[in-house]
Amino acid sequence: MKKKWLIITGSLAAVGIVAALLVYFFVYNKPHKDYSKAKPDFEVEAITFFEEFRTNAAASSSRYNGKVIAITGQLSSVEVTDEQVVAVFEIDEGMFGSEGIRCVLIPEKAEALMSIPPGSSITIKGHCTGYNETDVILEHCSIVI
Amino acid sequence: MKTLSTLILIFTLAIGTAQAQKYVTKSGNIRFFSSTPMEDIEAHNRQVNSALDQQTGDFVFRLLMKSFQFEKALMQEHFNENYVESDKFPNATFTGKVTNINNIDFAKNGVYNVMVEGDLTIKGVTKKVSEKGTFEVKDGRVNGKSTFNVLVEDYGIKIPGAVAKNIAKSIQIDVDVNLEKLVK
Repeated sequence: MKKKWLIITGSLAAVGIVAALLVYFFVYNKPHKDYSKAKPDFEVEAITFFEEFRTNAAASSSRYNGKVIAITGQLSSVEVTDEQVVAVFEIDEGMFGSEGIRCVLIPEKAEALMSIPPGSSITIKGHCTGYNETDVILEHCSIVI
Repeated sequence: MKTLSTLILIFTLAIGTAQAQKYVTKSGNIRFFSSTPMEDIEAHNRQVNSALDQQTGDFVFRLLMKSFQFEKALMQEHFNENYVESDKFPNATFTGKVTNINNIDFAKNGVYNVMVEGDLTIKGVTKKVSEKGTFEVKDGRVNGKSTFNVLVEDYGIKIPGAVAKNIAKSIQIDVDVNLEKLVK
C-alpha cells in the first residue's frame, strides 16, 4: 500500500516537473507578437496624432506608447536602407529638419509600400514606441489600405 | 565706399558663421550587448536621433527605449517593464560636445579620432560621461562610431537575484550613426 502511494506521488511529481519545464521553455521562447494581425487600439488621423504628442507629450505617451495605432495620412516619402524601410509622414519643419511620424515596416510587409507614390493617402498600423521630440515612431508596421 | 563694402563683407561672414552646418540622422543605430557565461543578450535600436553642430561641436542623441528590439519577446518585455521602466522613462538622451571638433576637417575624407563629453540620461538618471570614438568623413557625410560600457547600477537599474547571473553588470554600448548635412 505504501509502495503504491510512493509510485503515485512520484509520477505526479515527474509530470509536474515536465510541465514546469515545458511552460518555462515556451514562455522563455515565446514568439514576438505579429503586429500585422493585431487589432488597432486607436485609429487616428496622422496630423491629429502628431499634434497630440507635440502639445502634450506626457499625456500622449501614457495614452499611446506600447499600443497598436492605425494612422491615416498623406505619405511624404519612403526611406530605404540596408536595414529597414521607413514610411515617413512629414508634418512640420523643426530645427533638425522635418518632423512627423516615422513608421518602420515589418521587412516582409515592406514590398507593398514600394508601389505607393508619395502624396497618396494611406493607412498604416504599427506599435507606437513614443515621441522623441521630433518624431513619433511606430515599429512593426504594415499597410492597412 | 570702401569702408561700406568691408562692412558688408564682415556682416556676410558673420551671418555665414552663425548658420553653421548641422549634421543629422533619424535612423542612427545603437546596440547594447550583455555577456555572461550563462547567456549573451543583445538589442538594437535603429531609430536613434542624433545631431552634430560642426561649428560648436555640440552633439546630441535621443532614443526611445521601447524601440530596442530583442531576439526574444520575453527579454524585450522584461527590459521594458522591469529594468528600464520605459512607460515611466520613455527616452534616453545624451547631450554633450565633441571636445576636439577643431581637429576634424569636414571637407577632407578620412577617419578622425574624437573625444565626446557630456550628460547621459537613462531611466531619469543623469551621469557625466567621457568617451572616445571615430568620425569617418566621406564625401560630406559623417559616420560616427563609438563603443563604451555603462554600469547598470549607475542608472538605478536593478537586476533581480534570479537572473543576476544572466545579465552583465557592465553593458557594452555600440554607437553607429550616419550623419548627413541638414538641408534647409
